[in-house]
Parts: sequence; structure tokens; C-alpha cells
Amino acid sequence: MAIKLALAGNPNCGKTTMFNDLTGSSQYVGNWPGVTVEKKEGKLRGHQDVIVTDLPGIYSLSPYTLEEVVTRDYIMNEHPDVVINLVDASNIERNLYLTTQVTEMGIPVIIALNMIDIVKKNGDRIDTHKLAAALGCEVIETSAVKGAGSKEVADRAVQMARAGIMTRPQHTFSGPVEDALARIRELAADLVPAENARWYSIKLFERDARVLERLRLPADVKAELETIVSDCEKQFDDDSESIITNERYQYISGLMKSCVQKKNAGMTTSDRIDKVVTNRWLALPIFAAVMFVVYYVSVSWLGTIVTDWTNDTLFAETVQPLAGGWLEAAGAAEWLTGLVVDGIIGGVGAVLGFVPQMFILFFFLSILEDCGYMARVAFIMDRIFRKFGLSGKSFIPMLISSGCGVPGIMATRTIENEKDRRMTIMTTTFIPCGAKLPIIALIAGAVFPEITWMAPATYFFGIFMVILSGVILKKTRMFAGDPAPFVMELPQYHFPAPKGVLIHMWERGKAFIIKAGTVIFVACGVIWFLQNFGFTAGGFGMVEDENMSMLAAIGGVIAPIFAPLGFGNWQAAVASVSGLVAKENVVGTFGVLFGLGEVGEDDPALLASLPTLFATSASALAFMVFNLTCAPCFAAIGAIRREMMSAKWTWFAIGYMTGMAYIMAFIINQLGGAFFYGVPFGAGQVLALCCVAALLYLLFRSCNPDRKMRKPATVGAGA
Amino acid sequence: MPLTMARTGEKTTVRGIHGKEETRRFLESLGFVEGGKVTIVSEMGGNLIVNVKDTRIALSKAMASKIMV
Repeated sequence: MAIKLALAGNPNCGKTTMFNDLTGSSQYVGNWPGVTVEKKEGKLRGHQDVIVTDLPGIYSLSPYTLEEVVTRDYIMNEHPDVVINLVDASNIERNLYLTTQVTEMGIPVIIALNMIDIVKKNGDRIDTHKLAAALGCEVIETSAVKGAGSKEVADRAVQMARAGIMTRPQHTFSGPVEDALARIRELAADLVPAENARWYSIKLFERDARVLERLRLPADVKAELETIVSDCEKQFDDDSESIITNERYQYISGLMKSCVQKKNAGMTTSDRIDKVVTNRWLALPIFAAVMFVVYYVSVSWLGTIVTDWTNDTLFAETVQPLAGGWLEAAGAAEWLTGLVVDGIIGGVGAVLGFVPQMFILFFFLSILEDCGYMARVAFIMDRIFRKFGLSGKSFIPMLISSGCGVPGIMATRTIENEKDRRMTIMTTTFIPCGAKLPIIALIAGAVFPEITWMAPATYFFGIFMVILSGVILKKTRMFAGDPAPFVMELPQYHFPAPKGVLIHMWERGKAFIIKAGTVIFVACGVIWFLQNFGFTAGGFGMVEDENMSMLAAIGGVIAPIFAPLGFGNWQAAVASVSGLVAKENVVGTFGVLFGLGEVGEDDPALLASLPTLFATSASALAFMVFNLTCAPCFAAIGAIRREMMSAKWTWFAIGYMTGMAYIMAFIINQLGGAFFYGVPFGAGQVLALCCVAALLYLLFRSCNPDRKMRKPATVGAGA
Repeated sequence: MPLTMARTGEKTTVRGIHGKEETRRFLESLGFVEGGKVTIVSEMGGNLIVNVKDTRIALSKAMASKIMV
């Protein structure tokens, strides 16, 4: 039978690094059933029959967070053969708190004393033999980042599983608590499995809600339990859970004195870096400088070089002619060649062109995350974001969304508070992602060639939309209440492990490649078909004039919806809808529609034809704003669905984004046209002014949740 | 007094934690327990970075004011 090993430990203790080390590339990433907590499994390298599970990073086994519950349930119900408990040796005291709980669960435990190299470098000493004896389980020194010891721990764990070695917790609580636990154990002897009796008695003593719920104790047992616990609480003048917590820490403090020798308690290198990086005045400039470098390299400099190469050399000069040649040689019909070369390879190629750029950006973001700086960024930004009803933790998803919305939405998982998380999911795709850059470049180039600050302005517009939404949504009943207070562990700075960075980068970027291979692949074929075929006098068939195509017919039906926004023609309507498949399609669709074939956003013919579609420049701006702000692409909508875990919330999020996009585009088109391009003032302008007024009302209305409870406020009055 | 009022660099002792059950448990599991030592490493607009049991924890002002020292 397969042996199951589970990795448990605090966040930032190097668990993922060790997991990567143990399993190599045989990983399977999914979710724990029913919750959006990531589940990672893989086969131990060199052992086909050993499965390693990476449990979520947790500080304790209380029932207060999803991660803790998932871990507890896994250990209790799935019975892994051995739990490998990673302990960060550089802050051993806090880490052992979890260890004292894990060893109680009646499952064999082995301790990997990780980051031992940092301890040694600091000149501290840990007596592992004493520690092992005191905890009742084996302790092996490791340094996952350097790949030292991981294999040894896993091999030893496999041996333990085969030999059936058990772990007996050695730590005890004070006399009165042990008395109470013994009585509870006796009381519940028939109700709980014998091998977990210790754990259950402690949980019953703590009045653990989930355990009580599962055991369904008979009333008399419950009453008896309550007497035992409250007697003990009176004796200590504290609640039972705090008694256990304090005693655990006391036991660990005693252990520290006998097993750990600290050289000095002065400032560490990490502290000295933090003194500068989180300094009141320097924090923001340093952050801005770091971000500038990251974006400059990944978007402007290196990114452009590789993207141009992929687009122009790899696809345009190599793959397309090659495929065309083959098809012709094979005697394929003209329409098939068109479908494959222009439709599919052209469309998919346009998407794949972004991949290198995206990967470079994610590479840098992974480095920042892995070395510990990203946690500081959340801390620095918290002060600013809090003013708009978001927490600093919302900032990281937005940063990632500037590359691609899918991993950005997935990054919201680190936000514990559900309201904060939902709001971040709803606003994070307002930040223009890599795929939206061509839309910006196209409109800016075609309509506003003299305005050089157009591209940065769209990012500021994205941030403006996030802030606007934050303030407005916070004032509705759904999101009322301050963002959750910020608490976050700041890991020590360290050099990132190359393997970890690469795996991280790949996990974020792969959504993009999958999208290109699946959704976009099909969509490009469909759009190509719709646009080349249609019903003519001679019946159904290929059409010469695109205005006769099915695509034109469909676009014509949708177009009136966009008329108030200034782009009520079928071409712009189709382009916007094709943006749902993938935002980079918008430009491609225009190219195909103007009969220019495969075009880039800076093609002179395209730049010349485009303005004819829009009534005024304000309409073109409205078109851009709508496409940047409305519902994201299908891949991102799928991510929203997965993270929201509710169809209702997904629809609400998409509806909100599209509604906001519509209102913003409407205001820009109507008022912009009237003020700058001499469009006569009429009903549209009045309505636009009403929208502005409604937004201002939602933005500045006083927020009193009590009053709203009695009289529900009407939301979305501007639509 | 609340932790927000303690001076940077000075080692203080936690006297108690206020607030919701959940918040208290979370702070406890991070190492903020009665009698435990806390040192403020740096301060930024009321938000703090503290050293507790050799770990650096970032706390917002609201959270820090729940920890009495």
C-alpha cells in the first residue's frame, strides 16, 4: 500500500521549498474539497509508492481559520502514515507551539529542524538530542533552501512508516490541568478512538466547537464535562483555551532554556534591512524604484525584445509560412489554409507573443515574494489602502494582475477576511493586464498620437477605479465594516531558491499558455468562420464582402447597446465581444475586420482606418475605457468563479465591472463630446450628468450601517 | 497601556489582549501571550513591526492597540 507523508508547519518555514525538493516535478495542485485552500500532492522522488502532501501553513490547530481546519481534518480523517513537522529553527519558540499540538494527534511525527544554517551562522546552538527526547520524536537538521537534509528526513519518515514507530507526546501540563484531562479522558473513553484520546480530551477541555459538534456528546456527559472544565477555569481564573495556550508556551520556554543557546539577541541583518526598507520616509520611494526597475525590464526593455522576436520572427516569418507551405503542398482547400494560418495560428500566435513578457514579469515578482520583500510591500501599502476600505494584502493581487488577471485573482487567497477578499477579486482586474496593453497602444496611437502619457494614464485610471469601487462598495451593506486589522508575519530576508522561483513563475504564467491553447484556439477558429461565411443571395457560403458575414449580422444586433457610448457599429461591437475571449483579440479583430489580415497595434493602415469607426475622439476614449474596465476575459471569469465559489457572487462581480465600465464610458463619451468636440447638448448629456451626480452621491454619502439596516439603500442608482 | 504607545526598541511584557475571541486566539498562536516579551522594531504611521519570540510580525494600528503592555 502507498505510504502517505504529510508536511506540516508554520507559514514561511520553508515547507514549499522542501516539498519542491522532495517531489520534483511530479506535483499535482488542486483545492481541498469545498474550500479555496490549495492542496499540493506529489510522489516522493525515487519512491513510486510514497505520496507527499503539502499541508497549508498554519500557526496552530485551533478551529479558527480554514487552513487550520483543513489540516486538522486531514490528519484526523486521512491518517497520514507520518507527519513531517517543519520547524523554523531561527524562530523555534513560536514554531514549537504547533509541534506540541501535532504530536498529540496520535500520528507518528518527525521534526525537520529547518533553516539550521541561519542558526549556525548567527552563532546559536540547538541541542537536537535533548529536543528530540523532550518532544518524543526524532529531530533531523535540514536546510531546504540548500537542499540539505530533506532527503534524509523523508527516508527516515518512510522507515518509520514501514516499522510502525509511534510518537508519544512527552510534554505535560500543570497538575490541575492534567487531573482535569484525565477525568475527561475517562468520561469520553467510549466515545473517542483510543489512539487519539489525548488529543480529544484536550480539545474537549478547550470546548472546541468543531469537536463538540462532531462527537455529539450525550447530555449527561456534556454537563459533567462542563463541571470539570469550569472548575479548572475557576482555579486558574482564565478560560480553558487560554490555560492550554499559556501552558504550552511555558513548556516551550522551559525547553528553550535547556536546549537552545543564543549568542546575542541584537539586531539581525533582516532587522537592519527593515530599518531602511520600511522607514517612514524611504519606504515608498524605495518601493517605487523597485517597481520601476521590474516593469522597465519586463515590459519595456527585455520584454519587448523577446515579444517582438516571438511575434515577428517566430510566428510571422517561420511558423505561418511553414504551415501555409505544408497545407498547400498537401493540396488543402483555400479556406482550410485560411482557417489554419490566419485564423488559428495568427490568433494563438498573437497571444503567445505575450508569454515571454509575462514570464519575465512573474519571474521578478516571484523573486520579490520569495526573498521576503513582498510581505513588506503589503505592510507599507496597508496604510494607504486602508483609507479606501482595502487592506494592504489587496495590493499584491493587483500587482500580479498587471501581468495577468488569472494569477492575480488567485493571489487573493492570502486575504483571510472574506469581505476584503471578495472586494479585491471584484476590483483587481481594473488594473490593465498585459493583454490589454495592445488596446491602449492602438487607441492611443490612432486617436491621440500627440498625447504621450496615455499609457501611464490608463494605469492611473485603473487605480482610480479600484479606489472609487473600494469607497463605494464599502458603503453598501454587503461590504460594510472596516477592513480586517492587518497582522502578518514578516519572514527573514533570504536569497530566493532558484527552483522555487521558477516553479512559482511557471504556476502563474501557465494559465496564459493554457488559455492560448484552449479557449483562444477555438475562439479564433469560430470568429474566422463567422466572419468569412454568411447567407447571400446564392445561399450559405463563403462571402467576399464582410458586411454580409454572419459576424456582421451578430454585431449589428449587439451594436445598438453601445450606441450611447459612441461606438454603435458592428465592428466595434464585435471587437468588444471578442475581447471576452481574450483582451488581446480586440486588436486582432479590428485587423481582420479592416481586411488587413494579421496586424500589430502599430500598423499604419490600421491606425488610419480606426478613427472612422468613432464619432469623436471622446467615443474612441470611451471604447478604450469600456474594454479595459468591463468583464475580464473568460479565463479570468473562470478564476473569479473558482475563488468566489458561488455563481451569485461571480455574476455580481461581472455585472458590477461591466456596469461600471458602461457608466464610465457613457460619461466620457457624452460629456467629453459636448465639452471638447462640439456635440450639441442634449438628453444624453443630461443623463451623463445624472450619472456623475449619482456616483458622487455613492462616493460621499455618509455611511451609517445602523441606519441602513432599517432602510436599505438603493445601490447602483446610476445604471 | 496599548502597544501602540510603547517606545521603539524597548522590550515590554504583554499584560493582556483585548478584542474578539478569534482575534485573541490568532494573536496567541503568533506568540502574543500574557507574560511574553515584545519589542517594537519599527513604526510607520502607527503601524508596527514587532519582535515576538524571535519572529517579526507586522501589525496595523488597530491590532496593536488591542495588545496591552
